[in-house]
Amino acid sequence: MEEKREKISAKELSKRLTQQYLESAHTAHEHGKYVAYTTAVSPVEIFVAHDIIPIYPENHSVVCITRRTCTELSEAMEHEGYTSHLCAYARCDLGYRIVGKSPMGGIPDPDFLLACNAQCFTLTKWFEVLSRKYQVPLFVFDTPQWIRDKGARKEITRYCVQQLRELISALEELTGKKFDYDRLREVVKLSDEASRLYRKFLDMASYKPSPISIFDALIHMAITVYLRGTPQAVQFYRTLVDEVQEKADKGIGVVENERFRLYWENLPVWFKFRDHANLLASYGAVILTSLYVHAWSYEFDTSKDPLETLAENYVSVFSNVTLEERADMALDLFRRYSLNGSIMFINRSCKAVSFAVHELRDILTERTGIPALVFEADMGDPRFYSEAQIRTRIEAYLETLERLRS
Amino acid sequence: MKEKALRRLLEVARSPFSALKELRGKKRIIGSTIGDVPEEIIHAAGLHPFLILGTNEPIRYAASLLPDNACSLARSNLELVIAYEGDFFDGFVLSQVCDTTQHLCDIWRRRFPDRYFENFLAPRQVSRPSAREWVATEMRRLIGSLSRYTGREIGEEDLRRSIRLYNENRSLLRRLYEVKQKAPRLLSNREFFDVVRAGFFMEREEHTELLRELLEEVEAQRPEEERIPTILAGIAVEPTGIFDLLDEAGVNVVGDNLCTGSRYIYYDVKEDGDPVEALASRHVSRPHFSPIFSRAEGIYTDLLGLYRERGAQAIIYVRIKYCESQDYDLPDIKRRMRQEGIPFLVIETEYQTTHLALLKTRVQAFCEAVLGRV
Repeated sequence: MEEKREKISAKELSKRLTQQYLESAHTAHEHGKYVAYTTAVSPVEIFVAHDIIPIYPENHSVVCITRRTCTELSEAMEHEGYTSHLCAYARCDLGYRIVGKSPMGGIPDPDFLLACNAQCFTLTKWFEVLSRKYQVPLFVFDTPQWIRDKGARKEITRYCVQQLRELISALEELTGKKFDYDRLREVVKLSDEASRLYRKFLDMASYKPSPISIFDALIHMAITVYLRGTPQAVQFYRTLVDEVQEKADKGIGVVENERFRLYWENLPVWFKFRDHANLLASYGAVILTSLYVHAWSYEFDTSKDPLETLAENYVSVFSNVTLEERADMALDLFRRYSLNGSIMFINRSCKAVSFAVHELRDILTERTGIPALVFEADMGDPRFYSEAQIRTRIEAYLETLERLRS
Repeated sequence: MKEKALRRLLEVARSPFSALKELRGKKRIIGSTIGDVPEEIIHAAGLHPFLILGTNEPIRYAASLLPDNACSLARSNLELVIAYEGDFFDGFVLSQVCDTTQHLCDIWRRRFPDRYFENFLAPRQVSRPSAREWVATEMRRLIGSLSRYTGREIGEEDLRRSIRLYNENRSLLRRLYEVKQKAPRLLSNREFFDVVRAGFFMEREEHTELLRELLEEVEAQRPEEERIPTILAGIAVEPTGIFDLLDEAGVNVVGDNLCTGSRYIYYDVKEDGDPVEALASRHVSRPHFSPIFSRAEGIYTDLLGLYRERGAQAIIYVRIKYCESQDYDLPDIKRRMRQEGIPFLVIETEYQTTHLALLKTRVQAFCEAVLGRV
């Protein structure tokens, strides 16, 4: 580790940590380590505590999307009989397995697969395909919907804890190594620290003007997604929080003359996000947050059995709660960040997050009195993105907000 | 000679809401959706379980509530209750097995704030012991919820009585399936699956009685006939006119893994011991169902098993448009079937489809090819 005393920027640190992480992943097998694929929302702390390198095919797919290879990869898998209306992450990944093309030198093959369906059901089916392809075990961590019923929640947690024990047994069998619960406690503590700092970073969007936009959140969430549970992640978010605090103290905002502080519903349109940001900035508008970026701001209770606090945090992610609770979570962001506009994206790729958008829009506009823009497209595939139409609608929406303001 | 019992069963299968009008005043009706809501529990509560299977009427409202790539069964179910038959139901118990059904529950519940509503959080994995324990826990929650709704405790004896009734019903359906497999002229594919379907809607006691009568008639005769023994795969077959196409093309369904077929009629619930534990054991031992994870190879191993065990000559797979779960399975299933040299046909279907001419040509061409081969 060439961590020097010199002060390096969060951006630089993120780059170094990412490089180190990828290197450790690519050389895992040489060093006798196991590689497990997992979903972005999953109790990865268990892998970290067992020295298994977690890999997130979704992250790899995001890189493919931002480098604009989604359509090509998707067509490769469509050629094998898959349909173009599956999740763009899955399409990129399955396409990558066919053509072998990757903007970042690929990802190592898995020894084990973990799918947590609190995030979505799609991942289970996608990982089933990989499980058949690589002949490796798939563990489905089944998280029933976190319904608003105290008794049910207690039982759901119990079911999830029981499954985490089953997961640990499966990993012990895979590696032939006994699982170390003390180590898990340390990892959960680190994960908690990083998650709280990450949340603090996200919450800086409540400053006026906001020193960060969702664009910053989307870039900087990467570290907590793949390095939570490590001291490096804690170090990174400390650096980041200090850096953003400095900006906030100086009153530096993302856009000049900030006028519209927007909520974004859903995952981003990854290949268009910069364009969206630029278009909005010309109106003094900035997207500050979404429930999606908050999906990684966990709060682990380190006084509890680590499996219990892991279960409670992962099962209650926004994509696995009821519609009403999800609306409450979004309204909390509206309140805390003083939001005054909302763009709601119905993402062809993501049924788990998109299905309730129409209803969610009704609840949010009713409770806030703020109109929302709803549009349909795909997060990864430009074939399902109508440039002129969406641009016109965003412009029209901002003009409506202007009118309402005056 | 297609007699009274069969006539009544087919009538209920084909237009349940008009055929069962009198039920409405008699019992409180609880609608549920695929898959695997434990009907025995609803029955034991003194309520009438009714499986909602979409509508072929036009879609007017659901399109604005769900994205256009939502599975057509989900959309059609929602449309049925919002636009057409909502008043038929006193309440709902909806099962969550995938993203679509999970979020559909929320949307649906908000449409009926004045009705009884409960989620059935089915385990979406059945590969480990925790699944069986979870489903038992969830069944107990449902029992508590229904007891509060009716104001009457559901006792062990109530559950046992319902289990016995449903076991008998399932065993009669399996007997009928065997008769139909051996003598397809006595009972066509359409008729058999409509008889099963009638059970989703009507009172179990009456359904069982009619089945007994029907069996007496058909078991007495055994004409032989050459047809293509075929495995039918998928989740549900809609519109049921597809069965007519299969009949016309000379297909004899001798095995299936449909939610509306074998997954429904196989296996019995043990009648001794704790009734909830017994229901849970059956729940996790049913035939493969695409959204529920058992083993990654489960998508074709059960089909291959059935194909060999039943001496089939072809497999027909019914794909529901925009069913994500099936979409992930199909390329691997097709590849495996090709490797095994098994004639395999995929039929894509959508609720609200009334135009079956194109499908007819495809099914006929497939059957001719199979016949030419064997």
